[in-house]
Amino acid sequence: MLELKQVSKTYRVGNQDFPALKNISLTIEENAFMSFVGPSGSGKTTLLNLMGGLDRPTSGQVLFDGAQLESMNRSELAQIRKQHIGFIFQSHNLLPVYSVYENVLFPLLLNHLKEQDARERVMALVEKVGLTEQANKKPAELSGGQCQRVAIARALIKRPKLVLADEPTANLDTENSFRILELMQDLNEQYGAAFVFSTHDQRVTQFINREVRLEDGAVLWDKAKNGNGELE
Amino acid sequence: MIRWLIQGIVRDKTRFLFPFIVVGVGVALMITMLGFMDGIFMSMVETTSILDTGHLRLVNKAYYDEEHLNPMDRALGGQKATGKWLEEHSGTSIQWLPRIRWGAILDVPDEQGETLSQTPIQGMAMDLSSASPEIERLKLQKSLVQGSLPQHRFEMLIGYQLAETLDLQPGDSVTLIGQSFDGGLASDNYKVTGLIRFGVFAMDKKMALIDLKDAQDTFYMEDMVTEWLGFFPSRVAFQDYGRRKMELEPELKALKSQPPAGWYVDDDPILLTILEQRNMDEMAKMFLLIRGILLVIFTFLMVLVLWNAALLNGIHRYGEMGLRLALGETHIRLVGLAVFEALVIGCAGALAGSLLGGGLVWYLQEVGVDMGDAFAQSGMMLTDVMRGRLSLEGFVYGIVPGLAASALGTLCASFAIFKRSEANLFREMEV
Ligand SMILES: Nc1ncnc2c1ncn2[C@@H]1O[C@H](COP(=O)(O)OP(=O)(O)OP(=O)(O)O)[C@@H](O)[C@H]1O
Ligand SMILES: [Mg+2]
Repeated sequence: MLELKQVSKTYRVGNQDFPALKNISLTIEENAFMSFVGPSGSGKTTLLNLMGGLDRPTSGQVLFDGAQLESMNRSELAQIRKQHIGFIFQSHNLLPVYSVYENVLFPLLLNHLKEQDARERVMALVEKVGLTEQANKKPAELSGGQCQRVAIARALIKRPKLVLADEPTANLDTENSFRILELMQDLNEQYGAAFVFSTHDQRVTQFINREVRLEDGAVLWDKAKNGNGELE
Repeated sequence: MIRWLIQGIVRDKTRFLFPFIVVGVGVALMITMLGFMDGIFMSMVETTSILDTGHLRLVNKAYYDEEHLNPMDRALGGQKATGKWLEEHSGTSIQWLPRIRWGAILDVPDEQGETLSQTPIQGMAMDLSSASPEIERLKLQKSLVQGSLPQHRFEMLIGYQLAETLDLQPGDSVTLIGQSFDGGLASDNYKVTGLIRFGVFAMDKKMALIDLKDAQDTFYMEDMVTEWLGFFPSRVAFQDYGRRKMELEPELKALKSQPPAGWYVDDDPILLTILEQRNMDEMAKMFLLIRGILLVIFTFLMVLVLWNAALLNGIHRYGEMGLRLALGETHIRLVGLAVFEALVIGCAGALAGSLLGGGLVWYLQEVGVDMGDAFAQSGMMLTDVMRGRLSLEGFVYGIVPGLAASALGTLCASFAIFKRSEANLFREMEV
């Protein structure tokens, strides 16, 4: 579904080139549930940017369902994001003046759906993330874990092919992190959307099917879970 | 989506309140200021028109050419026929009033009839009968500082300062000595019945008013007037006088080809608007220029303030804009919708401002503010009540800059959005 071919990203700092990603090639399957791990500065966020059409590589190709993201302009990339990619951020995820329900609804409005046609679909997903009672509350009235659930619902509401999350659990305690990961795992299976996220957290490993370790902008190893539930 | 945005505006006071107040106050101030300026300028126009030129003036060309010499021998004949024609051809939209402008020596005698003092004066003759529209137009009742209005033949009103100079009281007799229409000596005795104060220096110091019929007798000007003054209803703005004149002109031409009874062979009246006389055109241009400059300055200030407000708003909603970029809205769309929001708020503000400003101007127009002597002493107004003038134009000049400033301010502030790169969104949403 998503394919990176020989992707490099070089930032120019002052008059020096800094290679953040070096020649990365990866293939992400339809229903992947995987994470990028690695030390700070290893290039995880940069990689997510390229996969999500938020940025373009310096060289190499990013193929999203065969479409070449690297040669698209800003508004074409926006179009891809709007239709096919869900994002979950570490924090500041929700629009503060709108309710949970409205926050989840928003991506559908962007895709020109009428509210009355989308209502049931939104409420069903709100229920799935366990926030039916909070549907009319504003983000300020929710806990951090609840906010992340709303963000997950918002990322999924448009039935995206790919959901990208940069350290989605970094601001949560262990219990909440696990609940969020379980929820994502659940939805990954039910909705068939690929989930790709970055994390520092070693404990995440038990939830995922594949782990890619980055160091200094290069893939150190790429392990998939075998039949015994171990990465190899 | 539009409902969505409006919900956001309504719920978020920081988004709404400040720009709303700025636009509201700005528009209200602008409408008030314009209404007030219009009111003052129109007062000046009114004063000049009533005491001097009318809004339109019908006068013999030969008379007008040498007006400064007071050439009464070039007066226009056929008062009755002309008056009838004017009434028929301008209907109720213009009120035409006949006048004679005269000049004479005012002779004040002592008890024995010997001359005590003499002075040349400029006089005006008009219908002073009790039902005359002139009484109301000149606000004679109100201007009277002493005595009463003329009720009999050969009675006279004089400016209070002139009376002071000549030591005249109501009841005193004076003699007018002047030239008759055909160049002979004209002289009649008048009784001063009242002293008037118009608040216009030239009038109060030099002016005497007598009835039109008396003037026609004194100066041997049977059925003649020096001019006709035409007055539009107050809703007609001075900018339109010229156009109205043009409409009348072809009819006047037709009249001239078949002159009414009483006109002399060399009678050749022309139509003049007030703007063509007494430098009023210059003043009007100056007025419009100042008004325009004020408008521009005001709009500019509003743009600056709203720009600032929009910048603050941009900081306040930094996270929201980032999210929306990530969710697939384009930069252009974000800016467009921000401008749309600003216009919605601007409309609300403009509406509130219009009500406030309109109300104030309406009050000024209908009630007025009595400025007392300070104003009267400016020497240019017939009235010491300061008035506003409510006009559609005033609203347009208030609302349009208000909306333009809303849009422009937001647009300026939105350059930050254009510069924002999607590549940093993940990092920005980290903290
Ligand atoms: N806009 C930029 N300009 C210059 N250098 C950048 C820019 N963005 C990232 N970098 C550099 O690229 C490298 C990779 O950054 P990236 O944010 O992808 O790391 P990361 O793995 O996400 O780190 P962390 O775990 O701290 O989030 C870092 O050394 C960073 O300093
Ligand atoms: Mg990162």
